[in-house]
Amino acid sequence: MTTQENAQGKIYILPQAIKTVARHSALQSYGVISLAPANLAESVGRFVNKDADFGIEVETDADGVNISLNLIIEYGLRIRTVTDSVAESVKYNVEKTIGIPVKRVDVNVRGLRISNPD
Amino acid sequence: MNSKPITLPSEDERHRLLQSPVNGEGLMLLFEAGLTWLMTNQQYVNSLNVFPVPDGDTGTNMVLTMQAALNEASQTPSRNVGEMARMFAQGALMGARGNSGVILSQIWRGFARALDHYETMDNGLFMRALQEARNTAYKGVVRPVEGTILTVIKDITSAAEVEATQTTKLSELLVAIVEAGDASVKTTPELLPILKQAGVVDSGGTGLFFIFEGMLRLIQGQPLDVTTAKVKPLSELELANTLETIEEGQDYEVVIDFAPKAEFRLEDYYEGLETIGTSIQVGEGEGIYRMHIHTLLDKRYEPIAYTEAVGTVKKIMMENLQDQMNQRQAEEEPVKCAPINAGEIGVVAVSPGVGLSKIFASLGAAAIVEGGQTMNPSVKELVAAFENLPTDRIIILPNNKNIILAAQNAAKVSVKQIGIIPTRNAPQGFAAMLRLVPDGTLEENEEAMNEAITEVHTGEITVATRTVEIEGVQVEKGEVIGLYDGKLTISASSVEEALKALFGKVDMGEFERITLFYGEGMTQTRVNTLVDQVRKDYPGHEIEVHDGGQPHYQLIIAFE
Repeated sequence: MTTQENAQGKIYILPQAIKTVARHSALQSYGVISLAPANLAESVGRFVNKDADFGIEVETDADGVNISLNLIIEYGLRIRTVTDSVAESVKYNVEKTIGIPVKRVDVNVRGLRISNPD
Repeated sequence: MNSKPITLPSEDERHRLLQSPVNGEGLMLLFEAGLTWLMTNQQYVNSLNVFPVPDGDTGTNMVLTMQAALNEASQTPSRNVGEMARMFAQGALMGARGNSGVILSQIWRGFARALDHYETMDNGLFMRALQEARNTAYKGVVRPVEGTILTVIKDITSAAEVEATQTTKLSELLVAIVEAGDASVKTTPELLPILKQAGVVDSGGTGLFFIFEGMLRLIQGQPLDVTTAKVKPLSELELANTLETIEEGQDYEVVIDFAPKAEFRLEDYYEGLETIGTSIQVGEGEGIYRMHIHTLLDKRYEPIAYTEAVGTVKKIMMENLQDQMNQRQAEEEPVKCAPINAGEIGVVAVSPGVGLSKIFASLGAAAIVEGGQTMNPSVKELVAAFENLPTDRIIILPNNKNIILAAQNAAKVSVKQIGIIPTRNAPQGFAAMLRLVPDGTLEENEEAMNEAITEVHTGEITVATRTVEIEGVQVEKGEVIGLYDGKLTISASSVEEALKALFGKVDMGEFERITLFYGEGMTQTRVNTLVDQVRKDYPGHEIEVHDGGQPHYQLIIAFE
């Protein structure tokens, strides 16, 4: 949880809020097909709760936030460029909308989707 | 950038190669023309880049992607369009740079898939290739954002679907594609609000448009290395910032959007404007020009008549700058300090609110610096405040404990003699001001002021920013608290209660006069009611009230 303070009081930003921004930004990024469960617990969680939040991990500390994304990417794209774009876009949008520095964005490509076999 | 400018083949050669159906060599030539025209307009495309991340590299990324594609294709030149497009797409994939480069590589990938195994490409096949390009591009993203390059490829394809059935000439099909692309680029701000806010069209979509326009220009024999618009894009016109200061001759601001006539010459237009006014800016965005000028009152209609002569006026905006400036000055009239006599001691007071500043000025401060609890002035601001005073003897009243250090540093960097009175709040500052003897020595004044600030006691009423317990006073965040000489003394649920409780804790018998400075969140009527109550409760005391205008503190109270 990150804490900021203004004249009226404290502001707490919970990881869930950061995840929502990161998720939206990642899914709008070209080449990203979906988020992927990061581990067994998340995979199981998907069956129990359809709206379960998976694929994004957020860690915060005093001087910023680290984000880890687990993604499925479209086959046939230059993966390095797609991952660079996603990381840049997520960092930019989280910093812009939430106003806390993003220190790292790690991108794990968990799989590729083939929609266009050439 | 290591790129060879392409040399256009001769008229005959070009005619032969671009005869529909086009073979592999012809397709290669079209791609080359697209790249060349994109390179010519690269900086313009860069300047439009605000989405998804405003880093101004879309044009460069698209050029690099196209170059990689062309390099790959030229390794194994083929007369077969299928083979040629496949290599081109392969190169684009390997060399894709940036978001727009990746989408572009998908477009060429789909394009190539449709041409697979074909020797030549006629208009029907070109249209099917665009359809496949569009479909492939859209498959690459789960939440397509419209108002981007995706929208442009979609609109281009729709136009091609219609035109390909009408004509067998490649040039005619490309005219339809370019027209649709142009229209599509212009709609992007309507689809993507961030573009509209920034006053630009989409950069990736514009880049794609230039690629197809380059192909058309090649066929039409138009030059590919001379940009049509060398003027700044609209986004670079900082219209909002031009109002900071206005000089003589700038009574009116006139902004005109217009579509110029074919024979329009920008240089001539500029020259004419210079005889009318100042602060001239002309920007171009997709065929529409925007002109911005400041003129005198009696010349304010001249830019309109002048522009009507060179094009079709679309929109006129006019603002009375003089009036705006007057209004602004009335709103935030700075507190004026009376000039001091040369050589006298000059007092610089830091003040958090307009009302308090006025009091400091009326007490004889030589300069006021705005600042307080959450807006500490910098050392530079402090120095600037006294550096030009006609004296080398200065006293600084920080009026906040957080500003004392900045005042000490300001003293270090200045050659003037500087005394700092460690005033922690406005009432202490006022008490110090009252002891000022401008033609006395610095030491005498410092001594008197330091004594004065121990004689005044200060109450402050504010809202707690956190939950805390200090010296037995339990405070919940959001509660109103009262401080006496900087110490947390009471907490209450309202300003009225807090004031009453604070007075209860203070030995009121010791004082004769109470002065209240009201600030943030306090209205005149609320203060009047409050003061009536105080007067009733303490009939033996002299009660004064001033509008302090300070933020954060609802009340600052001086006890004397």
